[in-house]
Amino acid sequence: MAEQTNAASSRRASANRKPKKNQIPFGFLTVALIGVIAVLLNLKSSNVAFFWLTGSAFGFILQKGRFCFTASLRDPLLTGSTSVTRAVVVAFAITTIGFTAIKYGYSAAGLPIPGMSYVVPISLATLIGAFVFGIGMVIAGGCASGTLMRVGEGFVMNLLAFVFFIVGSLWGAHDFGWWKQVFISKGPSIFLPDVFGWMGAVLLQLVVLLAIYIFAEQYEKKRGTSH
Amino acid sequence: MKEVMLDCFGEACPIPLVKAQNKIAELAIGDVLIVQIDHSCAMKNVPEWARKEGYNVEVEEVDDGEWEVLIEKTK
Amino acid sequence: MEKKKEKFFDKMKSNEYYVRWLKNPFTYVTAAVLLSLFQIVTLAVTKNPWGVSGPFAIWGAWVFEAVGGSVDKWYYFASPGAQATLEGGLLNHPDSWRNFGIIAGALAATLLASGFKLKKIKSYKQVLAAVIGGTMMGYGARIAFGCNIGAFYSGIASLSLSGWVFAIGIFAGAVVGSKLLVKFFM
Repeated sequence: MAEQTNAASSRRASANRKPKKNQIPFGFLTVALIGVIAVLLNLKSSNVAFFWLTGSAFGFILQKGRFCFTASLRDPLLTGSTSVTRAVVVAFAITTIGFTAIKYGYSAAGLPIPGMSYVVPISLATLIGAFVFGIGMVIAGGCASGTLMRVGEGFVMNLLAFVFFIVGSLWGAHDFGWWKQVFISKGPSIFLPDVFGWMGAVLLQLVVLLAIYIFAEQYEKKRGTSH
Repeated sequence: MKEVMLDCFGEACPIPLVKAQNKIAELAIGDVLIVQIDHSCAMKNVPEWARKEGYNVEVEEVDDGEWEVLIEKTK
Repeated sequence: MEKKKEKFFDKMKSNEYYVRWLKNPFTYVTAAVLLSLFQIVTLAVTKNPWGVSGPFAIWGAWVFEAVGGSVDKWYYFASPGAQATLEGGLLNHPDSWRNFGIIAGALAATLLASGFKLKKIKSYKQVLAAVIGGTMMGYGARIAFGCNIGAFYSGIASLSLSGWVFAIGIFAGAVVGSKLLVKFFM
């Protein structure tokens, strides 16, 4: 049976094969351009250049890993696979440790803690916004980072999603005042170390992430067949 | 021992995988499903699913950004 | 000279380091580790975690202003910080350039693996999906203070309970979205 498959594939290979263009030189050209733009941006602001370079790193990694948050949340249900889910959990765990170390360092030195603007009020707006975002990303075939990644890969559909992401963002910004008044202003911002202490918060979160990891792995095994 | 082509060119995530899962159910043991894809996610998640199911899998790059995933239904 | 260059890049295709590092995909876990690395670098250097959806609202505002609109009375853009960002323009907005970088980095990765292909839209269903999905993502991200990166990934990693609340919402949305996808957009 193996020979049949190989024979089949080589038959098809000789029939289908068009001369492949080698795009590698264009790849290096793109990398060089990224560097040139970094240098140019640096003339104006080294901060902007840094953001450009880290963005390029993120984009490169996302593409090479086919790392998609949409898949992490959608696949367990649609296809039974949790491999991306578990990878996301790993990312969350490692980043939590790194972030907490940095934040604790500043706190212990009596300095303002970085990144606290990301500790935002919790309200119905959080849930509804996340819910709407979740539906949108699955339908559009990519989340926020996934959309940008796929624009770089040449998917015109995601380019269209990108354009309407802008439209939706403007609309959301317009309505934000209402949401703020009705829901967000009444919501608490909860920084877990304030509740559980630094060690407690980190350990608790890592334990929860571990539990999710194990659950995801067992879920995939038990689900077995694809439907 | 037939070969079935499944053209998934231009399909968005995760459509190639869902279509492949549905199609393989229709095949007999020994048949080969050839999934044609140009989506980088599918180039990873279709073979991953097929291998997990225990099928024989071969991935061929037929052009820049185009792959054929050959899945032999072995059970 | 051209022939020499061509042969060099053709030979590269079979070089073991090229195949291992540039041609083959990373495993999901490798990507997870590398993303974490750059997230941590980002917090350390910029004093904030990674975020993606913020710039989209600014771009929308700039386009709106370009066609004669004004956002200055909107609560979202009224703060001094937001006004400064709007006045500063694209070249002064780091977050925008990080997003452009993601596009460039993904393009570079695809070309280096010799896997770039322009994938055109196939059906009106895809158009509908992109329009509706994109708009929903943009709107949802604004009222939830971020997207899968800013509110979900960075939120949770920042030990903010909001990240976990967002997680519940985005998961529920993904469930509903999957059902809608199969029912209407396949």
